Amino acid sequence: MSSEASLRSTYTAAPVHRFNVGDKVAVKHANPPGHRRTPYYIRGRQGVIERICGAYPNPEELAYGFDGKPEKVLYRVRFLQTQVWPGYAGPANDIIEMEIFEHWLEPASQRGAPAR
Amino acid sequence: MTDQAIRKTGPQDIGGEPAGPVDTTDHGMKHWERQANAFRSVVQMHKITCTDELRRAAEELGERYKDMQYFEITTSAMRTVLLEKGLFTEQELTAKMADIRARFNVPDEMESPIKKALKK
Repeated sequence: MSSEASLRSTYTAAPVHRFNVGDKVAVKHANPPGHRRTPYYIRGRQGVIERICGAYPNPEELAYGFDGKPEKVLYRVRFLQTQVWPGYAGPANDIIEMEIFEHWLEPASQRGAPAR
Repeated sequence: MTDQAIRKTGPQDIGGEPAGPVDTTDHGMKHWERQANAFRSVVQMHKITCTDELRRAAEELGERYKDMQYFEITTSAMRTVLLEKGLFTEQELTAKMADIRARFNVPDEMESPIKKALKK
C-alpha cells in the first residue's frame, strides 16, 4: 500500500475547523461524567496543534448508542512532557502527542494550566 | 471559574501510574478467547454495537476492572451491551450458557498458530 493510500484510509476531510496547525491550545480543565476520551492527566495542559486528523462521529455519544452526529473535528496535539508530568526527569524536549476532539480544546490564551 | 482537582475518568484511566516490567511472553489464546474475538467482529460488522459502546461498558466495571483479564473485560462489556439492547434476556443467556457448558469439551489452552508454524 502506498503512503498516499494509507493516508486516505486514515484521514477524513474536516473543511470546517476551529483550530489550525501551530495554534496553541489548552485542554479543558473539567470533570464531565460519562465516557470521555480525554485522559485525566492531559486536562488543563497546554499544547500545539500538530495536525488536523479529520472529522469523526463523536465517541462520547456513540458510547451510549447514539449516532455520534454531528461529527467532531479530531486534532493531534503536541505537548512537552515536562509540562504534562510534574518532575519529569527525561530530556527537556521530550513530547507526547495525543489525539483530542475539538470540543475538549480552547485557545491557550483563555486559560493557563492550573498548578496541581 | 474555580480550580478543581481533575479526577480519573474510570479504571482504564491509568496513564502515569507505576506499571512495573511488561510481560512480553506470547501466551497464545484460549479457545474461548478466539471465539470471543470472532463473535465481537461479527456483531460489530452488523453494526449492532461499536467499539465506543463496548469501551463504555468496560469502564463501568469500576473496581472489578483491575482484577479481570482482557478477554474477561471485553466479553463482560459485550454481555452488558447486548442485554441493554434487548437482544436476549438475562434468563435466556443463563439458560443458553448451561446448555453450551454441557456440550463444551475443548482444550483449555491453544498454542499460538505463529509459534506452531515456526516450529515446523
